Amino acid sequence: MVLEATMICIDNSEWMRNGDYSPNRFQAQADAVNLICGAKTQSNPENTVGVLTMAGKGVRVLVTPTSDLGKILACMHGLEIGGEMNLAAGIQVAQLALKHRQNKKQQQRIIVFGGGPVKYDKKILEMIGRKLKKNNVALDVVDFGEEEDAKSEKLEALVAAVNSNDSSHIVHVPPSSNALSDVLISTPIFTGDGEGGSGFAAAAAAAAAGGVSGFDFGVDPNLDPELALALRVSMEEERARQEAAAKKAAEDASKGGEQSTSQDATMTENVAAAPPDAENKSNDLMDDENALLQQALAMSMDDPATTAATRDTDMSEAAADDQDLALALQLSVQDSAKDQSSQTDMSNLLADQSFVSSILASLPGVDPNDPSVKDLLASMQSQSEPEQKNNEDKAPKEDK
Amino acid sequence: EERKRTEEKEKEEEEREMACMHDHSCEDHDCSSDWSLYKHIDLSKVSALNEAVPGSAKSVFKAWENRLNSSEGQLVSNEGDPELIVFIPFTSDVKIKGISIVGGADGTSPSKMRAFINRDGIDFSDAQSMQPVQEWDLVENLQGVLEYQTRYSRFQGVGNLTLHFPENFGGDTTQIHYIGLKGEATQLKRDAVANIVYELMPNPSDHK
Repeated sequence: MVLEATMICIDNSEWMRNGDYSPNRFQAQADAVNLICGAKTQSNPENTVGVLTMAGKGVRVLVTPTSDLGKILACMHGLEIGGEMNLAAGIQVAQLALKHRQNKKQQQRIIVFGGGPVKYDKKILEMIGRKLKKNNVALDVVDFGEEEDAKSEKLEALVAAVNSNDSSHIVHVPPSSNALSDVLISTPIFTGDGEGGSGFAAAAAAAAAGGVSGFDFGVDPNLDPELALALRVSMEEERARQEAAAKKAAEDASKGGEQSTSQDATMTENVAAAPPDAENKSNDLMDDENALLQQALAMSMDDPATTAATRDTDMSEAAADDQDLALALQLSVQDSAKDQSSQTDMSNLLADQSFVSSILASLPGVDPNDPSVKDLLASMQSQSEPEQKNNEDKAPKEDK
Repeated sequence: EERKRTEEKEKEEEEREMACMHDHSCEDHDCSSDWSLYKHIDLSKVSALNEAVPGSAKSVFKAWENRLNSSEGQLVSNEGDPELIVFIPFTSDVKIKGISIVGGADGTSPSKMRAFINRDGIDFSDAQSMQPVQEWDLVENLQGVLEYQTRYSRFQGVGNLTLHFPENFGGDTTQIHYIGLKGEATQLKRDAVANIVYELMPNPSDHK
C-alpha cells in the first residue's frame, strides 16, 4: 500500500511491429501497461500513474500522473509506431514529470518498457541511474523485444546504479507463447517490494496460474464451482483412461485378440459408463448401454477387427474401474489369444448368464430381473435382430 | 560597589556565554536545555536525499549530550557524491536561533550549508537554483561546540526546515553525526483543515 506516483515509459519504435510476442510486441506491451495501471491504482487509491512514449518524433507525455484509470487507458489508443526509442531522454522527462507531481508525499517510480535497441553507452546510463538514486526515484525495467548483446547488460547496469534497498527491479522477458502481462504478474514489478503485494496482483496471479491459456476448462472456478469440478473430474478420468489405453494397446497389439476385445470392450464400455455417471445422467446411460449392446452384437456379426482399436480404450477404461471386469477382460483376451475363433469364446462368455447378470447387477442403474434386461440377454445369446427394437423401446422405461 | 558588582556579573555572564560557545564543560545543563528543539521535530517525516542508508537521517537529531555519540548511526552520503539534503518537519511552528553541525573527520565534514524554510519536496536541482533563506560557510566542528546563528527575524514561523550541504572538505562522502537546533517552540500548528462542518443556519446546540 505504498503511496506512489508512477511514470510508465512506452516504447513505440519500429521494432515493436514484430510478432514474436502475441499478437505483436506493441499489443503485448499495451496489455501489460493496462494491467500495471490497474494494479497500481488498486493497491492505493491515491496512487497516480502517468504515461509517456519514448519513440516516434520525440519523447511525448501522453498523460501526466493521474489516478483516473479511464484517462490512462484512453490515451493508449491510436498510438503510432515509428522511430527509435530514446531511453535517456525518456527517463529524464519522466523524472521531470514526477518532480511536478501534485502530492509531494508520493514516492517516485519510473517503469520503462525497453523493446528496441539501446543506443546509449553504459556509462551514460549509469550516470542517469545515479541521478535517479540521488533524487530518490525508483526504476523498474522490462527488457523484452530485441535481444542485442549489450542491451541486457546496459539495462542491468542502469538498474544496479539506481537500486537502493531493493526498490528497483529489472525483468527479462524472452519471446514465448505466454502473454507479456502474465509473465510480469509474478514479478516484483507487480507485487511491490515484498510488502505482501496488493489484492489485485494476488488475484491476477492466481487467475494466471489457473491457466495461462485461459482457465483450465474455460470455466472460472470462482463463478461456477460445480461445473468446474465436474469438468475436472471428467478430464482426470479421460487422462487415466488414455494412460491405461496406451498400456493396453501395447499389450493387445502383441496378443492380437481383436475380435473378443471388441465384444468385451463394448460390454465393459457399457458397464464402465455406468459407475462414473452423475446421478442425472443415469437414464441416458441406460439407453446407451442397450444401444451399445445391440451395436456390439451387430458389429460382432460383421467385422470386429476394424473396431479393435477404438474398443481397446473402452476396455482399459473399464479395467481401471472394476477389478472383476479386469479379470474378465484378461480371461477373454487370453482366450482369444489361444483360439482364433474368438467369436465363439465371446458367445460362450455371454452365454454364461450368471456371469453376465453378475456384471449387470454391479451396475447402479440396472436390475437384472427387469424384463427388458432379460430380453436383452436372451437376444444376445440368440443374436436375433427383431428384439433390438423392443429393447430400445423399453429402454426409456428404465428409470432407476 | 553596586556598579562593580553588576559589571562583574556582566563579565561573568559574558564569559559564561563565550564558554557556552567555546567550552561546554561548565554549562552543560544550560546548553542542553537550549538545544532542545529536537524534541519538536516530527521524526517520522524526516527525510534526506542522497543518503547512503535510507532512513539514517533520523539518527542525527538527539540531545546535546549525545551529540558525539554515533551509536545509533550517522548520516552518510553516497560514495563519490558529497551533496546532501535534509528535510526537517516540526510538530509545531518553531523559531530557530542557531544551528550546530557535527561532521565527520578526514574531510567528510560539510563545508557549506544552505537553509530553506517551509518548502516541501526540494530536490537537488531546486536547491541549486533557489535562493536560500540563509547560507553559512562551515568549519570542521568535530566537538560540536560551534553554533551558527541565524538571522532570527527570518526564522520566526518555521513549519519545516530544509538544509542543503553542497560541498565538503574534500572527502569522498559527507558524514554528519549531529544536527542541533536552538530556539523556541510556539504552540502554533500548520495542519491543513481536517474537519469541516457546513451549516445552513447556526445552531448553538451543535457547538456545545
